[in-house]
Amino acid sequence: MSATGPDGPRPVMYPDASAPLAERARDALADPTLGENLRGAAESWAAGRARMGQEHPFAAMRERGREIRTRNVRELPALLDRLEERVRAAGGTVVRVADSAEACRYVIDLARARGASLVAKSKSMATEEIRLNEALEEAGLRVVETDLGEWILQLAGQHPSHIIAPAVHLNREQVRELFAAESGGELPEGREALVAHARRRLREVFAAADIGVSGVNFAIADTGTICVVENEGNARLVTALPRIHVAVMGMERVVADWDEAAHLLQLLPMAAIGDDAAGYVNLLTGPRREGEADGPEELHLMILDGGRSALRGTEFEEVLHCIRCGACLYSCPMWRSVGGQAYGSPYSGPIGAVLTPLLEGMRGERSSELPFLSSLCGACHEACPVGIPLHDLLVRARARVTTPGHRADRRRFRLWSLAWRSPAGYAVSRLAARAGLRLLGGRRGWIRRLPGPGEPWTRERDVPARWPPR
Amino acid sequence: MAAEVAALAAGLLRKLEGRRASGEVVERRDAGAAAARVCGDWGVRRALLAGDPLLDDLGVSEALAGAGCEVLRWPDGRGLGWRELLGLEGPQDTCGVTVPLLGVAERGTLLLGTGPGHGRSIDVVSMRHLAVLPAERLRPTLAGALAEAYGGAGLPPSAVSLVSAPSRTSDIEKISTLGAHGSVSMHVLVVT
Repeated sequence: MSATGPDGPRPVMYPDASAPLAERARDALADPTLGENLRGAAESWAAGRARMGQEHPFAAMRERGREIRTRNVRELPALLDRLEERVRAAGGTVVRVADSAEACRYVIDLARARGASLVAKSKSMATEEIRLNEALEEAGLRVVETDLGEWILQLAGQHPSHIIAPAVHLNREQVRELFAAESGGELPEGREALVAHARRRLREVFAAADIGVSGVNFAIADTGTICVVENEGNARLVTALPRIHVAVMGMERVVADWDEAAHLLQLLPMAAIGDDAAGYVNLLTGPRREGEADGPEELHLMILDGGRSALRGTEFEEVLHCIRCGACLYSCPMWRSVGGQAYGSPYSGPIGAVLTPLLEGMRGERSSELPFLSSLCGACHEACPVGIPLHDLLVRARARVTTPGHRADRRRFRLWSLAWRSPAGYAVSRLAARAGLRLLGGRRGWIRRLPGPGEPWTRERDVPARWPPR
Repeated sequence: MAAEVAALAAGLLRKLEGRRASGEVVERRDAGAAAARVCGDWGVRRALLAGDPLLDDLGVSEALAGAGCEVLRWPDGRGLGWRELLGLEGPQDTCGVTVPLLGVAERGTLLLGTGPGHGRSIDVVSMRHLAVLPAERLRPTLAGALAEAYGGAGLPPSAVSLVSAPSRTSDIEKISTLGAHGSVSMHVLVVT
C-alpha cells in the first residue's frame, strides 16, 4: 500500500475536457434528443429494478454484498498474491502495472513481439480509463470495439456515457447514420436490421483478430479464475477466438472464493439490468489446455493499480467496493439530466464524480468541479448494490477541493460558524444582516440583485428584504 | 421423474422463458425427435455438436442428420476455420448443440464446461443454441453448482460459460434485441 493519500500524485491521466463543466452541462440540458433518450433509459432501468425488488430480498442481498466487498478490499494484497499464483499455475501470465503508460506499453510490446495487427475488444471500463485504444492506434494497430454500444461510440468518435449502456444517449436514427457511414451503403430501417448488420460486420473482426482484449468483472483468488460478464456474446468470442487474450483488471476486482463470486454474480445484473442473471458469464482459468480446439494460446492478466492502492485505508476506501453496475448513474437526477458525456471522464454519475478526482489527483480542474455535480440527495447510495455511501464520499471529496474560489468559500463559512457560536455574535450578525438587507432592498422591500458571491443566486429569483415580505 | 427434479426443471425453464429463451422436458426416447423438430422449426442447415457421447446415446446426432442437417462434431468441426463456423462463408443457418455440465434452477442458468470434446465457442459462433441437459444435472443454486464445478482436485476447467439467455443487446434505445453476437434463439431440452 502506498504512503501517499488521495492528495498525492496520481499516475492515470485523463485528457482535459475542453470546456468547463458548467458549459458542458448547459449544452447537454439544451439538447432535446439527449433529454428524451436519457429519460427513456432511466425509466426502463427503474422498471427492471422495481421488479427485482419484488422477486428477491434485495436489502439483505445488498448487506451481504457490502460485507463481501469490505472484506475483499481489506484483504486486497493477500488476495492478489493468491490470484497471481493460481493464474500462473494454470499457465497464464500475470503482470501488475502502476499506471496507464505502463499498461499500454505492455500491450503494444506484446502485439509487436507476436506480429499482431488487429485487436478485438470487449467492453471494459479499465481500458477506457487507461485510454488503451488511443495508445494502440498510435502504435499502428487496428482496434475494434465489439460491444454494440461501444462500437457505435467508436464510429461516432465518442466516449461512453454509461458504464453498462455506453451509447444510451443516441437513438436509432443516429445509429443508422453511423452504420451507413461505416459500411458506405444504404441500411434497412429498424432496430433488428441494425443489430443484424452489426453482427455481420463484427464477425469479420472476430474471425481475423490476433489479440482479444477484455475487462474483468471479478477475479476469484481461490482458483485463479477471471470472470467476464456480458449479454451479447462478444466477450466470449473475444476471449475464445483470437490466439492471445489480454484481460485488463482494476486491482480491486478480486474476490476470495466461489461463494462470494456467486453472490456478486447475482447482485451485479440485478442492479445493472434488472435481471437476476446476465446472459453470459465467461469464467476463464488460464489459456487453452492441451487437446482443446479453441480458446487463446496465451492469457495475459494485467492488474492495474492506477491510483487505487493509495485509496486503501483512507476515508475514500469505500469507492473500491464498487462493482461497476451503473445503478447510481440511472438513479442520479444530475446524470439523468445531463448524461454521462458532460462529465468528460470514463466514469460518470455519482461514482465518477468521486472516483475520477481520486484517481486523477485532487488538483486537476475536473476534480474541483465533478464532486459538485450532485444534489446530495442520496439516491445513489440507495441504489448501490454494495451500499457505498456515495453522498458522504461526495461531501468528503468537496472538502478536499483547493481552488481559490473554494478556499474563499470555506473561509466565509468558517467566519459564519465562528460568529454563531456565541449568543452575542449571533445577535450582532442578525442585526447586521437585517440592516444590510434593508439597505439593499431599499423601499421596494425586495432585492433583485445581490452583489459579489450572492449574484448567481439572484439571477433567477428575488430575495425578500424583510419578513414577512410585503 | 421425481417431484424434486420436476420442480427444478420447471424453475429453470420458467426463468429462461422470462429471458426469451425456450425449453421443454422430454423423455430420453424422444430427445432425438425433439432436437430434430426444434432445428426444423429454426430452419437449421448445419449443426455443430459437442463431441459428447451422450448426443449419440440419445439419438440426437442421428435424428439431426436424418432431418437433413449437415452434422459437424467438435473438435473435427474446427477444421473448417472460424469464417465458416461464424457463418461468414457457407450456410448461415447454423445451430450449436451443447451438453451443459450443470443447470441451475434458481436463476435459469446453464454451466457449459470446456474440454477437448466441448469447445467454449460452440454456442456463440452459431446462429442458434440447442442445449441438451440430462435432468439429473439440475441443481437448485448457483453457489452450489459453482462449488461442484470448481471443487475437484487438480486444475479447474480452463473455461466455464454460464449461459442464461440468447444473445441480447439493449444498446439501441434501451430496447432488448436478440442476436447481437451469440445465438439469436436458445432452446433447452431437459432429458429425463
